[in-house]
Amino acid sequence: MNKKRFSQLLATCLLGTTILAGCGGGASTSTPAPAGGGEAQQSAGGEITAKIGVVSFLSGTGAAYGEAQKAGLELALAELNEANKGKLKIELQMEDSGGKKESAINAVNKLINQDNVVAIIGPTLSGEMFAAGPVANEAETPIFGISNTAEGINDIGEYVFRNSLPESIAIPTAMKAAQEKKGFKKAAFIYAANDDFSVSGFKTMKATAEQMGLENLGEATFSNGDVDFSAQLTKIKELNPDVLLVSALYKEGSLVVKKARELGITATIIGGNGFNNPQVFEIAGDAAEGLIVATPFSPEKQDEKVQTFVKAFEAKYGKKPDQFAAQAYDGLYIIAQSLLAAGKADRNALRDQLAQLKDFQGVSGKLSFDEKRTPVGEAVVVEVKGGKFVPF
Amino acid sequence: MDLLNPYNLQVITFIVLNGILAISIYITLMTGQLSLGHAGFMSIGAYTASILTKQADLPLFAALLLGALAAGLIALLIGAPTLKLHGLYLAIATLGFGEVVRVIMLNMEITNGALGLTGLKSIGNTLYEWQKAIGVSAQSVGVSVMQMKALLTLFFLVLLFAVILFLTLRLNRSRIGRAFEAIKADETAAKAMGLQISYYKMLAFIIGSVLAGFCGGLFAHITTTVTPDDFNYHKVVEILSFAVIGGSEIVWGPLFGALLLTSLPELLRSLAEYKMIMYGAIMVLVMAFRPHGLIAADTFQKLFRRRSKQASAAKKEEF
Repeated sequence: MNKKRFSQLLATCLLGTTILAGCGGGASTSTPAPAGGGEAQQSAGGEITAKIGVVSFLSGTGAAYGEAQKAGLELALAELNEANKGKLKIELQMEDSGGKKESAINAVNKLINQDNVVAIIGPTLSGEMFAAGPVANEAETPIFGISNTAEGINDIGEYVFRNSLPESIAIPTAMKAAQEKKGFKKAAFIYAANDDFSVSGFKTMKATAEQMGLENLGEATFSNGDVDFSAQLTKIKELNPDVLLVSALYKEGSLVVKKARELGITATIIGGNGFNNPQVFEIAGDAAEGLIVATPFSPEKQDEKVQTFVKAFEAKYGKKPDQFAAQAYDGLYIIAQSLLAAGKADRNALRDQLAQLKDFQGVSGKLSFDEKRTPVGEAVVVEVKGGKFVPF
Repeated sequence: MDLLNPYNLQVITFIVLNGILAISIYITLMTGQLSLGHAGFMSIGAYTASILTKQADLPLFAALLLGALAAGLIALLIGAPTLKLHGLYLAIATLGFGEVVRVIMLNMEITNGALGLTGLKSIGNTLYEWQKAIGVSAQSVGVSVMQMKALLTLFFLVLLFAVILFLTLRLNRSRIGRAFEAIKADETAAKAMGLQISYYKMLAFIIGSVLAGFCGGLFAHITTTVTPDDFNYHKVVEILSFAVIGGSEIVWGPLFGALLLTSLPELLRSLAEYKMIMYGAIMVLVMAFRPHGLIAADTFQKLFRRRSKQASAAKKEEF
């Protein structure tokens, strides 16, 4: 009897913690995207066949990012295989990491050693990259981050690349552009302290503010998953800043912006990369008006290349691409271009070509790598006007 | 399937690591205590070991041991007030403890907050340097450097695992092990027999925590990074499921659970989007048909009895 009760207790607790975990995570549902075309092509003589691995966050709390990346990659794949018929045929091998380090390490190991890929795109999170990057680097396989913005990614090793602009470039661009127009002097900060992405963004904001000679009135923190920010924002309102710098993911960030306006904070609000999501308008509504964000990609940008991409993406998936899709799309284009330049599907030849990348013209702007393989590019500063991002 | 493929070696390494973790939850469960603080103790072990190797430049193995000790020390402090609780109350208290640890790690300067610690020494690299120092390189064994490092990590873990498993089996048959069993079966009866209940419960709690802390250190130095979110609710659920799926009566239960739950996601990789559905379905089926876990105390006995019955039946036929 006792034994039975004990295992019942065990099972109850397991169930209980699972439910709790579900609450904390803010689970998001994911619908499988339509499979990309361009698979059934005959390989002709002189054609390079390259298998490229993708490690992405396809299941779990961050699946929205993984789905966007997958969509961007599949669109690029179809276009590239069509354009380079007879010269280059790319195959993508997708692996899910679920946002877990162990899983990312296993996936990278599998792609390198079992599937013999020539390069790897991903993983989605910076934390995963810090764990999986060294594995790829040791195996002398290029690994190409398309969404890792944390500092130190390039220090992992010679085979580690990324086309996602570090926050240290994007945020200062936005802050300086905004100051020129609005001329603010006193700044207050608010950020999510339990999220590596937000903390990294906040550090950049603070350093830039010091450089610009802004007076630091105070810093407030919250946690991812919080829904009430009145205490922090009331404190900030008393400080009466000219500019409020918010570093957060879109969900919490939008709520912060909404609450700030509700409380009557009239300061200019500048957000980090996390705000690059159309969801911002849905959550914050009218309060989002005037929000300034630096982004490597804006679907509203009046550029022929960007508009073609946005149209193709909308035709295929029925929605506008976000930054994650755009960077994934560019990432595959960069690898294809380097593969063509290398002339063979060889890991080391590809690495050398990637390291020489200069003035690549993608949908997320012009991109080059410096000698430390740090991406050098330009960020677009956008402002919310009439429920969408328009160039500032 | 190439056995020396670093991918396979990596997966086996994680299985063995989770095996040690399964033993740690098993030992705590031996006295019938349901502790959900194992992720917290892992976190303490991982951070202590990482800070010691990164900032203080201590040798890896000394750091691992100190990490385990730190977890044990905290367990001593936490155990005193919480072990008076029973069942669900203890579970909630230890769950709270795990969250407190996570939040502390998030807010401390030395742990680098949410960004965590990166670029830690890997076990494979450390062992390979030793190996080179004694004059054996990967080429002389006939494998690539990557394979050699993966192999060394695996050998090291298997060795540790074997020692820990051996000690656990010995513990089972010792006075202490029998006391644990008595307490699990009936606390009041055990007390009436003159057993110091709080002492034995504390002992099981501390052994489990030390092992969890040790695993934390190993985990940090296999993945070379550690962030507070590695040890959240999900980790607690994962560790607990080893015992729930595998069974918690004998040590082979959680071990089998660890083997199954670590290898399944990899085996199901080819299913891509449907992976988690299959994973969930398998869990539900196991719970429906084997509510006490896959391996119970009498599983082996039944197996052997049937086999010996068959053997004796076969003998009879011969006559």
